[in-house]
Amino acid sequence: MSRTNWRDHDWQLIHGEPRSPALHMALDEVLVEEVAAGRRAPTLRIWEWASSAVVIGRFQSLRNEVDAANAAAHGIDVVRRISGGGAMFIEPGNTITYSLYTPLSMVEGLSFEQAYAQMDAWVIAALLELGIMAWYQPLNDITSHIGKIAGAAQARRGNAVLHHVTMAYDIDAQKMLQVLRIGREKLADKGTQSAAKRVDPLRSQTGLPREAIIAHMIETFRHRHGLSDDTLREDEVARAQTLAASKFANPKWTAELA
Amino acid sequence: MSYTRHMRHGEYKMPGGKLVVADLDVRDDLIASVQISGDFFLEPDSALADIDRALLDAPCTASTEDLAARISAALDPRVQMFGISAQAVAVAVRRAIDGEGTP
Repeated sequence: MSRTNWRDHDWQLIHGEPRSPALHMALDEVLVEEVAAGRRAPTLRIWEWASSAVVIGRFQSLRNEVDAANAAAHGIDVVRRISGGGAMFIEPGNTITYSLYTPLSMVEGLSFEQAYAQMDAWVIAALLELGIMAWYQPLNDITSHIGKIAGAAQARRGNAVLHHVTMAYDIDAQKMLQVLRIGREKLADKGTQSAAKRVDPLRSQTGLPREAIIAHMIETFRHRHGLSDDTLREDEVARAQTLAASKFANPKWTAELA
Repeated sequence: MSYTRHMRHGEYKMPGGKLVVADLDVRDDLIASVQISGDFFLEPDSALADIDRALLDAPCTASTEDLAARISAALDPRVQMFGISAQAVAVAVRRAIDGEGTP
């Protein structure tokens, strides 16, 4: 198998209605499997959130990462995703999250480090066009001179790769520190210091509404790689709903690493 | 799924990598239960259970090198690690046994 390029594929865009955190987790698993099985063309999915969430990595300890009592008090769902990496705090409108479901051939022969940087090169370009000097910081961060902008994670399924990223648009840092157990040494990694009230690298550096940044990112992708508008198929949604209920809303999965 | 709270906790941030956390219990100078966790990447994800199993019943006197060798021997050669290594896990486990990382 030789490496394929972006333009070798017929990229599809899904940017639909707000979904629950558990359904988002399930859609990632279903869609990467659809691409692996060849039933779906490679796809960019932009997420919209129906409710707040803490999303922990596949290998993180629930107890070590999340203050469950504070999360419950704020009405925040805690879910575990299928990729590794660190915990994220999400409130609707405060982050930009997207997933790429790509054939494994796109990262053929690349190191993990190179694979991460390649999948987000279009985002770095989009941010530069918006006036943000951003760069990839190995292993899996997009950063700028005022701190971290985004964290990425990948998971492989058969002949496909899930690459998803959450970018900080305007995060309530005080609330984040109440629900995530972050050691002082990790604060810098979350793009904040304990005194900060907001972590808002995208909002403060562009002055643009979240929707305008998303629109620009989509246009950058379309221009560089080609992109056709698409929607989720009914069977994909149905499978994701079943999986959300049986797995991602199930404490057995969320607390698999206690 | 385990509801037990492990008694010993160790952490290690791998240089150029991610955080590896070891939560474990010791009985009769052996590792009696262990949970490795962290913000690292592993393919396939089932490899984490293999790592935990490899550490079970390891003697508390095992050196970091001994623990790393146990882990390496238990992993399928096709397992891919990113931001984590057998050595990094061994350091976190050693710290947990020694009580250095107890919160």
